Parts: sequence; structure tokens; C-alpha cells
Amino acid sequence: MTTATEITDTTVREVTEWLFTEAELLDGGKYREWLDLVAEDLSYVVPLRVTREREAETDIVEGMTLMDDDWDSMEMRVLRLETEYAWAEDPPSRSRHFVTNIRVAAGGSADELTVKSNLLLYRTRGDVATFDILSGERHDVLRRVASGYRLAKRVVVLDQTTVMTHNLALIM
Amino acid sequence: MLRDELRQILEKGLRDVEADWTVPAGIINDPEMHDAERERVFGRSWVFLAHDSEIPERGDYVVRYISEDQFIVCRDEDGEIRGHLNSCRHRGMQVCRAEMGNASHFRCPYHGWTYNNKGSLVGVPAGREAYGNKLDKSLWQLKPVPKLDTYKGLIFGCLDPEAQSLEDYLGDMKFYLDIVLDRSDAGLEVIGAPQRWVVDANWKLGADNFIGDAYHTMMTHRSMVELGLAPPDPKFALYGEHVHTENGHGLGIIGPPPGIPLPEFLGMPENIVEQLQRRLSPEQVEVFRPVAFIHGTVFPNLSIGNFLMSKDHVSPPTSFLTLRLWHPLGPDKMEIMSFFLVEKEAPDWYKEESYQAYVRTFGISGAFEQDDAENWRSITRVLGAQYAKTMELNYQMGRGLYEPDPDWPGPGKAFPMDYAEANQRNFMEYWMQLMVTDPVPHTGNGKVSDGTAAEALARAEA
Ligand code: FES
Ligand SMILES: [Fe+2]
Repeated sequence: MTTATEITDTTVREVTEWLFTEAELLDGGKYREWLDLVAEDLSYVVPLRVTREREAETDIVEGMTLMDDDWDSMEMRVLRLETEYAWAEDPPSRSRHFVTNIRVAAGGSADELTVKSNLLLYRTRGDVATFDILSGERHDVLRRVASGYRLAKRVVVLDQTTVMTHNLALIM
Repeated sequence: MLRDELRQILEKGLRDVEADWTVPAGIINDPEMHDAERERVFGRSWVFLAHDSEIPERGDYVVRYISEDQFIVCRDEDGEIRGHLNSCRHRGMQVCRAEMGNASHFRCPYHGWTYNNKGSLVGVPAGREAYGNKLDKSLWQLKPVPKLDTYKGLIFGCLDPEAQSLEDYLGDMKFYLDIVLDRSDAGLEVIGAPQRWVVDANWKLGADNFIGDAYHTMMTHRSMVELGLAPPDPKFALYGEHVHTENGHGLGIIGPPPGIPLPEFLGMPENIVEQLQRRLSPEQVEVFRPVAFIHGTVFPNLSIGNFLMSKDHVSPPTSFLTLRLWHPLGPDKMEIMSFFLVEKEAPDWYKEESYQAYVRTFGISGAFEQDDAENWRSITRVLGAQYAKTMELNYQMGRGLYEPDPDWPGPGKAFPMDYAEANQRNFMEYWMQLMVTDPVPHTGNGKVSDGTAAEALARAEA
């Protein structure tokens, strides 16, 4: 055991603060700033799930996803939102990321942490009196850099198979 | 029975679509229209259920819908494709509650009646004590889809036992479908499973958009034009063909603008291009050679997108193929099922690039798809209101501007540019015709298919 993989209270507090800051940026539409918190080798995946019998090994589908981004495609999303024509989010959704049940563990290398958290994402648009809710578990890899942490990997496992919102235009 | 008021709206709509090239807004979001549509459109049309690659092994199944009816689409123990109503003959319980899997039998969780994947009732708990061994199991098999058939890997079902054959129903559209479905020796496969999501929008808006609406690209997808993922030439859809056939089907086929060096045949990998030149007719090859975008709809609710697109703003384009089902859940709600398919024999690099291009542009999170859903839900909401329903919608694009193209090598009625709305009018006209035509009542007693595609084929040949 090296000391680098020890999870101290300070580490948990830093990670929690990082996740809350991230949520604030996303809910505030500060995507460019959010991109600064992302590593250049980012992998950002929302797997596709199906309803299967209990005996099935997994309900996560192989080969297909709901979202599968790297740094370039994430930058494309942000550049898109910076045009005047990203209608899906213009006017923007009002969103709220509720991030709970944060669990921090040692990562695959000394400078990485694996972080699990629960996510409840509330979304509402226009003057429509209804709202959409997405619930899921995030599996993150955070990398420690000189200035703090960078998101290197995120897998968001949603709790719905048929997704009850009209698109995944928001970053989860 | 169609209420007089609805009949009047539809009959006026039929006259208007011919004379004025307009369509009544009231057909989009109205509960009574939706009820009538369930019976008159979805009760009579061939509806896409699954692709045969989704159930490659014996016992494989998926659960799919025609309107509200749900069917287990499976490959039985003999390798035959079947479709059974997912409802127990005892009290109607779902006998299959997973979305996909592999099973030789379906056991009802209510009282335990058990069916094999041919649909036969093979087990009744306490049969001797409860029924004195007198229950004739052969009378109580799972109800089959009244008609089931396949075309080049696509499995369709139809609730009307008197309907014309799938071959006849697809008609001239087959020429174009083959270009997509039949261009390689080993055929296509669905990768993974379809993405499924719910949009507060009427299903017809998806069908209408894919059948002929190249016009919206410059505005709806302007953000992607700015990022270089869609053609910057505002006239790009002029370099295409706008084609429709009988039974409401139609598609648009767009090539590169002059001077833009895009690869032939959607830039498909060499081995597939070699195969397609051998498999397709010279006319089909001629149609396909310059293609960069194919968009189309098989009436009523199956659409095709075969596009050459980049996976992000810095990568070169790759083509991908998506099928999408606009499954109605109500007048103002649909579930989109979006399938990604790729040639089984395509090289791995192409499969990977093609998947990435699809998922980032036209899947649920796709940068193009997102903006379409935004429009369709907005339209649906507006057109659900009393005054808005009395409006006529303008379907006049191209009116008086051009004649059908005499040089087009394919069948159907073709116009020499894709900025047209002939396909959309043809779709709406066919839809309104079905709506005003009273269905022949089915007694439910006549001999229907035993639920296999082979049986349906044999019947069609007889
Ligand atoms: S409802 Fe299926 S066995 Fe009774
Ligand atoms: Fe679109």
C-alpha cells in the first residue's frame, strides 16, 4: 500500500466539493468552464439498459449506448451550444443536479480516484407545467492534477430503460 | 365508427391536399383522431417489429408493439420467426415481462399456464384436478400476429388478416429499400439493442420529417451547419431526388453539391462497394453511386436514415444506417425506437466509426436528433388546442415549379430536387384515405396465420 491510495477525510471533502462545483457549473450553463475540468483523454458514456429477467448476467447492452463521447465530441457539444442555433437548449432547460451518496475509493493508478455518486437530474423547459427526471448512478474517475482534479472518465447508469425525456442534450 | 365531424375534417382535408396542397392541422393532436387512427391506420398497415439479426438463435425473442398490442417476436425451436400476442389465454396476463432474451417456454406468473415458443399451450398446473383433463390445449395457444412476414431481414406484422401481402404493400419502395437492406452478401445486423425514449409529440411528425423534409436542415440543424457537420450550401437538397410510391411510402436521395468531392456510395468500405455492385441492379447502382444522404419513411411509422456524417467537428465523415420506429403512445406522445445497423461483413474500423457517428448525431443524445424533438413537441402542443386545430398547414412546396423527372432510373414518382413536399402530401393523402375508409369487420373466427413468416409466404404464393 502506498500512501497515495489512502482515502483521507480531506480527499473525500475535496472530491465532494469538486462534484458540487461541477453541478453548479452545469446547472448554470457554464459549459466552457466545465470543459476546463475535463481531461483530454475523457471517456463519457451513458450505457443502454434493457429490461431482462433476473437470471440475466447484466441488463447493460453491449455495443450500443445512449451517449458515448470523448474530448472532441464534448467540445463539439459545447461549441454547438455557443452557436445561436442550438434549439434543443435555447431557451435553455432549467436543470438541477442533485448529487448524493458519494463514495470515494482508490483508482487504477496513484493519481486517480474512483468516485461513485447518485444523480437525480431535474429538467423543465418553457412554460410547460411538467418536468422530466433522470435518476442514475455515476461512476467517475477523477485524476489529480496540480490545480485540483480532472474528470477522466464517467459512466452514468440510468435507472430507466425507456428514457422519459425527449433528448439527452444535458451533460449528466 | 367515425364521427361525422371527423369525417368532414378528413374529407375536406383530402380535397384540400389535392386542390390547395394543404393539410388540416387537426389531424395532429386530437384524442378522437388518435382513436380512429389506431383502428384505421395501425389496424390495417404492416408495422415494423424487429430486424431478424436481433433474434439470431433459436429461442431468442424481443417484445414489440403494433399500436398498444404487444407481441413476442421470437425464433422458435425450429428456427422459424413467429409473433405471439403477449397475453395469456387464461386471464390475459403478460407471459413475457422482459424486453428481450432467450426462452424455450413462457410461463404465466398468474396461474402458471406454460406456452412453448411456437405459442402452443403445453402445461396447465393441476390440469387433471382443475379441468378433469378435459381442457383441449390445442384450442388455447397464444394468439398469433394475424399476419407476419419478413422483407430482407425486416420483420413486419399486420393486424388485418385480409391485408395485402407485405411484398405488395411495399411495392415500388422495395427498389429503394434493397439499396439499403440488400447491398451486402451477409446482410445487416442491429448492434446491441434499440435506444428507446419518449417524446411528447405526435408520431406523424417524425414520419413526415424523414419522408421528405430536407428543407428543415438549414434552420433546425443550423448549429451543425456552422460546425461543419451539415452541408453549408443552402441549396444542397437541390442535388437530390424526391421520390414517392403507392401506399404512402417515400424517400429523398441527396448527392454532393457540384464541386464537393464526396466519396461514392456513401463512402462505404471497399468490400461492401464491391458486393453492392454485384448484388444491386444497374439502375440501383446508378441511383446509389452519388449518394451522401438517404432519408425515407415506410408507411406508417418506420423511417430510414442513411447518412454520411462526422462523429465530431474535427473528424472526416463516415456513413451510418439507422432505422427508427415512431411508436404512437397517444395523440401527443410517442416512443422513438432508434436502431443502428451495420453490414456484418464491414471491417471493424468502419463499424466503430459508423457507430460513433450515429450515436453522436442521430441517437437520443445526437446533436441533430435533439433539435428535431424540440420542434415536434412544440408543434404537438400548439396543435392540440381548439383554435389551432382549425388551421390548414401549408404543403405547397414546389407547387407549379417542376414536373416528375422522366430520366430517373428508379420506380415511383420522382422529382429532380429534394426541396419538395410531394412525399409528405402523398403520405398524408394515403393516411386520410385510410382514415375515411371504413374497415371490414373481422369476426376473429377465420383462419389466420399460425404466426410464422413461412406460413404467410406460403399463403401469399398459393
Ligand atoms: S392468467 Fe395466465 S395462467 Fe391465469
Ligand atoms: Fe432533422
